[in-house]
Amino acid sequence: MAPVVKDVNPKQRQYEAMVRALSADLYRYAFWLSRSETVAQDLVQETFLRAWKNLDTLRDAESAKPWLFTILRRENARLYERKRFDTVELDDTVAEDAAFASPERSGDAAQVREAILRLPEKYRDPLAMQVLGGMTGDEIAERTGQQPGAVTTQLFRARQRLKDLLGGPAAAERSRK
Amino acid sequence: MNCLDFRRRIGAEPRSRDPDLIAHRDTCKDGCAAFWQRAQRFEDDLEAAMAVPVPEGLADRILLAQATGERRGQVVRRRAWMAMAASLLIAFMGAGMFWRHADLNSLPALAVAHMPGELDALNLTRPMTDAQVEAGFRGRSATLKGPAPAGVTYVHDCMVGTHAAVHLVTRMNDEPVVALYMPGTMSDATIDFHRDGWDGRQIALSGGTLVVMAQGASRQTMDAVARGWRNAIEGSGAPVVGRI
Repeated sequence: MAPVVKDVNPKQRQYEAMVRALSADLYRYAFWLSRSETVAQDLVQETFLRAWKNLDTLRDAESAKPWLFTILRRENARLYERKRFDTVELDDTVAEDAAFASPERSGDAAQVREAILRLPEKYRDPLAMQVLGGMTGDEIAERTGQQPGAVTTQLFRARQRLKDLLGGPAAAERSRK
Repeated sequence: MNCLDFRRRIGAEPRSRDPDLIAHRDTCKDGCAAFWQRAQRFEDDLEAAMAVPVPEGLADRILLAQATGERRGQVVRRRAWMAMAASLLIAFMGAGMFWRHADLNSLPALAVAHMPGELDALNLTRPMTDAQVEAGFRGRSATLKGPAPAGVTYVHDCMVGTHAAVHLVTRMNDEPVVALYMPGTMSDATIDFHRDGWDGRQIALSGGTLVVMAQGASRQTMDAVARGWRNAIEGSGAPVVGRI
């Protein structure tokens, strides 16, 4: 007996292609936003369900990723409003004297991840949008409703804070060994 | 672009391919190329660190959730359609039953239904006297205002459904034509009908309703009989109800 082949409609095909192509990056962004694997999975599920309902508003393939990131960001905000997670913001002041210090190799990925997790959300969010979403500072500014200059500063400080965290006690520890 | 601007820009967007940045990197003698190289390596580490492992089957679970939601939505939509279709069917059936009930209780239907028990009357040929005809009308508390048509062969007071009627047969051109006059049964308009082999006309009169019908009689004969009974019942000068 011949297999039953049913045509998949273009919307469904587009959706499936989008899920397969972008769910990994979206999950990673969700993880860095929420700092929780479980919450990240829920956020990605919710984001894609909402994306399915509004798929007709997506005009071109290039804008799919920023579009999904924006939806996920809103979903996270909604979740945050609902659950009021207990979050602890780290001290936001950065040692500016190291601003132009030569960045050193930052050690293994686990240490970098630990450092990223310790970044305040206002740095972690644009950094993840840039690194994982491939967005420019202007695009991030547009998506987050900020001034481009403010985003540039956040991105700069995010990296400086990371270098600070990685080059501080961790580096000292490594040098002792 | 000076070194400060270059390093500030690279510090914020290390992967930028801005031609100004590239030009400064390639021409600067103060170590900006090395700065750029270190920034790229840091960015490699950052990208590797941010690429946390993705849970196995995540995409499939997302698609499953979407497909399940769609399926559920389809079931809900299908149920709504079925409920609507059932409602329409019930409405149509109700309307049909109402129409059938109304039709079966119409005067033409009742008149035709009355005929099987009266078929012998169609074979009578002996004319009745005017007195006998008038007596038949008096039996139904009705009086004639004009002369009855010639050739009346049968007069009887009957019940047509629930309506009291004077049942008349008029033979004209050797064709028997039935007239049922129901005094007090009011109708709105004149209606021609063809039902169960009977051609007929329901005529609204000022004091009741006259139904004239025959099997196979010519239209001229039917018209002449109808006109004759209307004149007899209402008088020749009476206005025709339902007609201008």
